[in-house]
Amino acid sequence: MKPLDPKLLTYARAARGYLVLTVTTGLVTAGLVVTQALLLGRTLGGAVHDGLDLNGAATAITWLVVVVAARFLVTTVQERFAHRAATAAVNELREQVVEHGTRLGPRWLAGGEGPALVTLATRGLDALQPYFVNYLPQLVLAATLTPATLLVVLSFDWLSAVIITVTIPLVPIFMILVGKLTQGRSEKGLAAMERLGSQVLDLIAGLPTLRALGRQAGPVRRVQELGDAHRRATMGTLRIAFLSGMVLELLTTISVALVAVTIGFRLVYGDVDLVTALTVLVLAPEVFNPLRAVGTQYHASTDGVAAAEAAFTILETPVPPRGQTPCPDLRRARVRLDGVGVRSSGGWTPQGLDLELAPGTVTALVGRSGIGKSTAVDVVLGLLGPDAGAVTVVPEHGTPVDLREIDPRSYWDQVSWLPQRPFLEPGTVHELVGDVDPVARDRAAALTGLDQVVAGLPDGWQTALGTGGTGLSVGQRQRVALTRALLTPAPLVVLDEPTAHLDASGEQVVLDTVGALREAGSAVLLVAHRASLVRTADVVVQVRAGADDEAPADSPDVVARASTDDDAARLV
Amino acid sequence: MSALSTIAAGRQAEEGVQVAQVPHGTLRRALRLLGVSRRQVAASITVGTLALGSAIALAAVSAWLIARASQMPPVMTLSVAAVAVRTFGISRGVLRYVERLISHDLALRGMTTLRTTVYARLADGKAEAVLRVRRGDLLARVGADVDAVGDLVVRGLVPAGVALALGIGTSIAMGLFWPPAGLALALCLVVAGVVAPALTSRGVRTAESRASDARARMTATALGILDDAGPLAVAGRTDAELAGLARQDARIAAAVDAGARPTALAAGLGVLAQGVAVLVALVTGIPAVRSGLLAPVELAVVVLTPLAAFEATSVLPMAAVQVQRSRAAAARILALLDSTGTPDTGAVVVDEQAPSAPVSHVPLPRPLVAQSLACGWSDGPAVLTEVDLELTVGRSLAVVGPSGVGKTTLLLTLAGLLPPKDGQVLLAGVPMSDLPRPDVVRTVVATTEDAHVFGTTVLENLRVARGDVTPEQAHLALARVGLGDWVAQLPDGLDTLLGPDARTVSGGERRRLLLARALLADSPLLLLDEPGEHLDPASADRLVADLLRDHEGRGVLVVTHRLAPLAAADEVLWIEDGRVAARGTHDELLARVPGYAAAAHQERTDGEEAE
Repeated sequence: MKPLDPKLLTYARAARGYLVLTVTTGLVTAGLVVTQALLLGRTLGGAVHDGLDLNGAATAITWLVVVVAARFLVTTVQERFAHRAATAAVNELREQVVEHGTRLGPRWLAGGEGPALVTLATRGLDALQPYFVNYLPQLVLAATLTPATLLVVLSFDWLSAVIITVTIPLVPIFMILVGKLTQGRSEKGLAAMERLGSQVLDLIAGLPTLRALGRQAGPVRRVQELGDAHRRATMGTLRIAFLSGMVLELLTTISVALVAVTIGFRLVYGDVDLVTALTVLVLAPEVFNPLRAVGTQYHASTDGVAAAEAAFTILETPVPPRGQTPCPDLRRARVRLDGVGVRSSGGWTPQGLDLELAPGTVTALVGRSGIGKSTAVDVVLGLLGPDAGAVTVVPEHGTPVDLREIDPRSYWDQVSWLPQRPFLEPGTVHELVGDVDPVARDRAAALTGLDQVVAGLPDGWQTALGTGGTGLSVGQRQRVALTRALLTPAPLVVLDEPTAHLDASGEQVVLDTVGALREAGSAVLLVAHRASLVRTADVVVQVRAGADDEAPADSPDVVARASTDDDAARLV
Repeated sequence: MSALSTIAAGRQAEEGVQVAQVPHGTLRRALRLLGVSRRQVAASITVGTLALGSAIALAAVSAWLIARASQMPPVMTLSVAAVAVRTFGISRGVLRYVERLISHDLALRGMTTLRTTVYARLADGKAEAVLRVRRGDLLARVGADVDAVGDLVVRGLVPAGVALALGIGTSIAMGLFWPPAGLALALCLVVAGVVAPALTSRGVRTAESRASDARARMTATALGILDDAGPLAVAGRTDAELAGLARQDARIAAAVDAGARPTALAAGLGVLAQGVAVLVALVTGIPAVRSGLLAPVELAVVVLTPLAAFEATSVLPMAAVQVQRSRAAAARILALLDSTGTPDTGAVVVDEQAPSAPVSHVPLPRPLVAQSLACGWSDGPAVLTEVDLELTVGRSLAVVGPSGVGKTTLLLTLAGLLPPKDGQVLLAGVPMSDLPRPDVVRTVVATTEDAHVFGTTVLENLRVARGDVTPEQAHLALARVGLGDWVAQLPDGLDTLLGPDARTVSGGERRRLLLARALLADSPLLLLDEPGEHLDPASADRLVADLLRDHEGRGVLVVTHRLAPLAAADEVLWIEDGRVAARGTHDELLARVPGYAAAAHQERTDGEEAE
């Protein structure tokens, strides 16, 4: 793990300016600290040894005032902009990670790394804040102030510089040694700590259950025992963990003490003068201060660095290229799937899927759950590229185009999709259904049953709904989305289990809507569970799965035109 | 310093309890619940003071040593100072180590006490207090919030105490050498140790209150974009939503920026105070040396000591932030404790020889009777009214109706876990609220949908219902609920460890394990909530029918939304529109009640389709 990853500067532009600022304030601080020590040493040495009076010291004191004022300013400015830069950098990374996530597509997001991305974007990246505000400035100071003060000490008194120089490498060496010696023990301790902690939480989480069974009184003592055990385990770990902090403090303070004592005795013999001695005495702790701060902030920074690395991993995941060809007019073109298969953990879901979506036709996908119907929908929508077979758009006249080469925007503009959990952008109900003529709107609403929903809303059609249609049930949202699909008929309409959250009357609404869409000339793709829906379809396609090494089956997917109720029931 | 950033980091927006809403005395009450002894706090502060005092003494004695050495005295006169400097160099690190151990031990003890108190009061208090809290919230209160209150000791109280003691001590010591220097140091320490933390505190409050709304919206927007990535892309709304995310981010940035102003000023003031203390000592000290009021060697001490004297105050801005955080956490814990309705008697001390509660035996038979019962949560409306029922040993009742009509609420009320809104629940003729809880539980046991599976073995999980369950009884009960094969294929059978809250078992297995547990309870009356949940309809119906038909001489009440297995019930209560719409046997209801018949028909058709 690098203390400062150059990628951070590549992805978070705010971090670049901030690093420049921090290095500048670091250099200025180094200059000011050294100047302050020189001025103090000279003035104090003069006053203690040579009887310097206030007039004689006036210039130096004036400069000291300037230095103190300047340090106040530098510290304030650094801190002032640290927060701004940290927030800006976190925001930049968050926005990039979220945007990249959307480009990786819904399948990737639903997969293994998806939930981690959500946590990272909403909370994880905030750990970078302490990294930027606390750790980075100290790291920069360790690279500016420490060498600068050490050089000044060297120019004054080489022996003190040697004592300090010998100590500096001891700091990391001892900390690593302590770390190595204690690693195994503290890991064991940490594991015990976590186990005991989770046992207490388990008991408390189970309290309602214990109460229902009348057995809540016994575990009180157990909670306390577990707490005590947790404390002992924690203290065992801390005893070791704090050792490294003690080594750090011991080495640095003893080093300063040695400098003071050595230089004191050499003063007695006149080997050094008082001004030198005082300057070195003031500077010696300053050499170590940034190192100590880096040590104490180290743990706070590791979370931030880990979060940043997680973000980089996501940002470096390659995105499938987007097509450029404009999509043919779907009112006169068909979408065709030839032998489409998608690889999944259990084999192929779906496998060898053939279907054709033609204007004015209703196609239903059927099959048991988990067989890949929704995956097939994602493929039709171009949200997921098939691992086998091809999706093409076939114009009435002209050559078929692979969906991968088509500009998705021009394709999606002609598609209306009603997912299982419809998403509604913020707006009034009237706006959401397409901001159309109220007469047409009311007719459509009567068909979809949205009129009843609207009647129950406080401001009727003008009721504002939040992101995701807050305040409406899934079934109600479905009616809004159905009405919109009806009022702004897209050439291709995809309905994924549109009756899942509806009762019998709601189901009729969907059936009527599907009929109306067919009349309007749309190609309709249904994912269907209920027999009633399957019955309305012109073409029913059975989705099949396959094992990993299985050759695609060659029986036809298009089973039948379901003409009778028995057929429909058999197919589902 | 680092105040704003740490508060901003990892803090969930919903936890951002406004500081203004925290009632006065919150911290004092919470500290009392931690039960930390004053003596131990004093010990930590003393050792901490000695540790940081060593650093100040190191600076002071070094200054004296060097100034005195420049006068070229006999070496012997310096030897004590030289030894002292080396000693302080060592004692600082060692004492700081000891102080950290003492204060952390103290805090951990306090956290255990507080956790035990929370548990004990939740266990003793109103059942509703526990039922109301979402599981995640409960864990947050008992986990992170208790930790935050405990942190008050380590990061708030002890540093403040150390800074106070050292501030007074150092100022007096310097004042003894040269009063103006001591006075200036005291004033500057007040600026660094009181004004700066107050400013930081204000900055953090500003940032928190302004950012919390933006943070909540940012989280919602980001979640929405990622959850609905596909629909948004197809609808062409991705860019608009990303722009919305950027807008929320900008609002967060503006809020943090507003809070950064006082925080930055506070950081600057810390540096300024130190500089001013040095300057005042120098400017007033030089003439004093000239006029003989101050020895030259002492001038070096009063000028250089302030350089080390501000270490203790430098952590106080962070301590102020910790105090705020701990207050907010304490307020949440206290609200939870107050909702239990138990008296606030401070920290609970577990009595080693706690006698088990006296058990009086309610005589058999023990009918559970509801009379004109209305049930609902205490701050909500009654969801079900006018319920009359009688559950006796040997009878089976089914309460059925669409989901969301208050069946679970009824079950909780019948089990005595919720007080009735109206009417009464009688057990053996006595109102349930007048009976001691142990008696009630010996007679009526309820299993709820969200009952907890503990992170222990299968057998111990079953023993939660009854401590003396034998492995044979456990196997029988598991077989009864259809888990015989499941337990047979577990690596260690009944002794297999289950993960916390049974993340390692499936929903259906979990449900049936809880059912087996309820069946093993001693109580003659069982109230079962949706025992077939998470099972496929056929197995669910088989299980429910079996429970209703064969109840081993107990009284069983099953709450369910499926009608198919109810032919096995002695009586079915059909819930509709917040009341018992009809009652009778399954066949009677099919013949008599059109709504019931329609629901049964719908269930059958759906079932055929699902096959």
